[in-house]
Amino acid sequence: MMKHLLKLTHPIHLVGGVTLWGIWFVAIYGGLSVACSVAPPAAEQDTLTGINVVIGILTLVVAGLLLWLAWASVGAARKTSLRRECYFAFTSAGVYLFSAMGTLFVGIPVIFLPPCL
Amino acid sequence: MSDTENASLSPEARELHDGLDRVWGNPRGLRALTVVNHTTVGLRFIITGAVFFLIGGLLAMLIRTQLAFPDQEFMSHETYNQVFTMHGTVMMFLFAIPILEGLAIYMIPKMIGARDLVCPRLTAFGYWCYLFGGIILTSSLLLEMAPASGWFMYTPLSSGEYSPGRGSDFWLLGITFVEISALSAGVELVVSILRTRTQGMALHKMPLFAWYILAMALMIVVGFPPLILGSILLELERATGMPFFDVSGGGDPVLWAHLFWLFGHPEVYIIFLPGAGIVSTLIPVFAGRPIVGYGWVVAAVIIMGFVSFGLWVHHMFTLGIPQLALAFFSAASMLVAIPTAIQIFVWLSTLWLGRPVMKLPMLWIVGFLVIFVLGGLTGVMLALVPFNWQVHDTHFVVAHMHYVLVGGMLFPLMAALYYWLPQVSGRMPSERLGRWSFWLIFLGFNTTFLVMHWTGLLGMRRRVFTYDADMGWGLYNLISSVGGFMMAAGIALLLLDIALHFRFGKKASQNPWNADGLEWAMPKPPTAYNFVSLPAIETRHPLWEDPELPRTIEEGRHGLANIDHGRRETWGTDPLTGKLRETIHLSGNSWLPLLAALALAVVCISLLVRIYPLAAVATVVSIVILLHWSWVNGAHPKMAPDATVAPGEPPLHSRTMNGPGVWTMSVSHLANGSLFLSLLFGWFYLWTVAPEWQMPATSPLSMPMLVAAGGALTLGTLWLVKLVRRLRQHDDTGLSGGLYFAAALGALQSVLLGVVIWQADLAPTETAHDATLLVALLYVLIHALLGGLLCLLQGLRVGYGYVSAEVPYEPVVVLRLWNYNVVVYWILFVAIWGIPTLLGGG
Repeated sequence: MMKHLLKLTHPIHLVGGVTLWGIWFVAIYGGLSVACSVAPPAAEQDTLTGINVVIGILTLVVAGLLLWLAWASVGAARKTSLRRECYFAFTSAGVYLFSAMGTLFVGIPVIFLPPCL
Repeated sequence: MSDTENASLSPEARELHDGLDRVWGNPRGLRALTVVNHTTVGLRFIITGAVFFLIGGLLAMLIRTQLAFPDQEFMSHETYNQVFTMHGTVMMFLFAIPILEGLAIYMIPKMIGARDLVCPRLTAFGYWCYLFGGIILTSSLLLEMAPASGWFMYTPLSSGEYSPGRGSDFWLLGITFVEISALSAGVELVVSILRTRTQGMALHKMPLFAWYILAMALMIVVGFPPLILGSILLELERATGMPFFDVSGGGDPVLWAHLFWLFGHPEVYIIFLPGAGIVSTLIPVFAGRPIVGYGWVVAAVIIMGFVSFGLWVHHMFTLGIPQLALAFFSAASMLVAIPTAIQIFVWLSTLWLGRPVMKLPMLWIVGFLVIFVLGGLTGVMLALVPFNWQVHDTHFVVAHMHYVLVGGMLFPLMAALYYWLPQVSGRMPSERLGRWSFWLIFLGFNTTFLVMHWTGLLGMRRRVFTYDADMGWGLYNLISSVGGFMMAAGIALLLLDIALHFRFGKKASQNPWNADGLEWAMPKPPTAYNFVSLPAIETRHPLWEDPELPRTIEEGRHGLANIDHGRRETWGTDPLTGKLRETIHLSGNSWLPLLAALALAVVCISLLVRIYPLAAVATVVSIVILLHWSWVNGAHPKMAPDATVAPGEPPLHSRTMNGPGVWTMSVSHLANGSLFLSLLFGWFYLWTVAPEWQMPATSPLSMPMLVAAGGALTLGTLWLVKLVRRLRQHDDTGLSGGLYFAAALGALQSVLLGVVIWQADLAPTETAHDATLLVALLYVLIHALLGGLLCLLQGLRVGYGYVSAEVPYEPVVVLRLWNYNVVVYWILFVAIWGIPTLLGGG
């Protein structure tokens, strides 16, 4: 069953990209809130804080994963002969690509904003 | 008169029609209250929604009258507070969502080739909850004790200290009651779309409208529970003093804002998506060509459905949240413009490449495009934090919101009204009256709200009941008021048009707009069973590819063209491929939905007037009715005691292991899980953010008792897994004994949890910590009781022969509940005992 779901031609991947995006989004917002509540960095540190670095790395990793999934979905769409599977894989590729771009776009502020002010 | 009565049918086909009429027909007189059919209930939703729209519109006119001139004394500020609060509440909760749900309830089975929704009694129950909840809420206006804290009821303004009357209680209890309706419709629309499409209609071939409604329904299922939880907590605070939102007791009013907007922002998209679905359905019809980029639209709908849950904090930009967090939400808010733009370009491309015909429905679609794009642009402006700070809580926001909601929902709804009116009445709408009404509403709307942007930029705050003449807002407010009354005149003309339509409208042909959708293959007005026979559909445009479909359906040449068994049936198909899996037998007309909703209305009213013993009795009565409802199912004599199906047809769903009930239970747990996660969010939020939160040094909860209760639950679940596994192998030996054993374990878990609560000696009215613990423990206790009770009933049903190796369906459904319970219980154990014990107090 799980093997079946992991195939990129399965329609579950229609929501895979945005689900990963959602988990990442909750993780960075929740993580930021908890980190600022428990161990806020000094204001003088500006953006050079562990919180910014961790969020930045997480953002790059998740965006990379999503980009790879988008690329792999296109490959899966080209390989299959079933029209239905081709449709699902191409549509999933679009959603993965959007999610990757969305992750990078939403993550950009860690470069120029301090975390807890 | 139905089309079918004019058709020249063979005697066999006529007999089939008559038989279907006997089984599916709606009773008249008092028994009309028992009707569960989706067509009738959908229409009831729509008509009731329209009545609430008129009430909300009337309140809007009162607001515009009050604001038309400076220093007006048309209303006192107390009355004005009630009027604007009820305007927003009625429009959002009693008009927008229910009427769109009504449209979906009415249209979806017709579009996917089904005879009804998958849980007809649930459809009717949802309607009654909506009606009674709506009446309770609006009665507060007549009693002059309407809520007055704004439609999002921010605490502490809505809390007992600052709103001591019954107004907030009307809102919290009435809205929660209405939300039962939204959730029930959400759950059954999801399952119906996934499991009852006609044979061959694979997921990638279903109508775009069904994709939109699927997304909307899932968003309702996930998005409404945070508000339900918030409402329960606030009502508990108001009624008993549990300080969830009171800083001095360890609570935090910002928690309410989070819970409200976790629901409130997705709600905007819950309202917009069906509107966009209407647009995606109508544009190809009037452009005379298939939509450009079906896949792009599906991707955009999915993206919108998810991203819209990541925007809620953009309603809270001025609450003091760190700038980096604001930037995340600002960026996410801009991100949602991409799927919106994809759809707009798809619509424009379809019009560009087709040959558009400017019929009346199309006029409303053009109006939608103009207004919604303008609303979307101001939305991107508001997503920018510095600009948002400047115009926060001004009339600019009010104007933006109306551009998005009226443009995104009301205009497509009007297009849908005129487009599908011939389907309901068998008559064509009047182009002349319709155009007059369109232009009055379009011009009136823009006169009201375009100017309102300027009023807001000049600094006029929303919700002020009057203003000084020196502020210089007088002229703009007067223009807005004139526009408002122009719009009201347009609505009045529209009502006149609809009234005349049913008497004087020209007869419609079978497919008057040359549409491609299956709903135009039905008789007009529709019969209660929709289709005499269910066709196999393997194209996105059934009527364009087979114009003879209406005739062959009517002649009974397709599937399920047999009514000798006396059952209400529709196909159950594979969610991906559309291959036939089961014959789903549906319940007939019943008093149970009405009685259950009435009992809940008594609960609601008695909580409102704080007669708690009566509330307790009514709760027990409603539980008994709902359990009786669950009893009349499966192989019960009133449902399907005889499992015989025609040769070549798939088995009845109650004789399988994966029927729609299993899906319904699973989708319900999405809603339940969303409520649970909201509760966990509340627990951790208060713990980390609330300034006066007090975490005791050691947990007041008994760990051995908690583990023992969890052990009983886990053992019961494993026991049920074993029973279901045996049923899959057609072995029902020891089934009833096993179910009774599981019921006993459920009872044991309940008793142990009761002891935990009793031993903990909590002070829920003194600290938010204890109040949250109590609510969490009650949540799992209620689930434990329900799990045990359902197993007990299943054991009894084995004795009656309703559950067996031949009818193995129901234990699978009950197992889903136990699976959910066991996962949730251990997560909660870790959250309320494990982590606090690990981290210690403080």
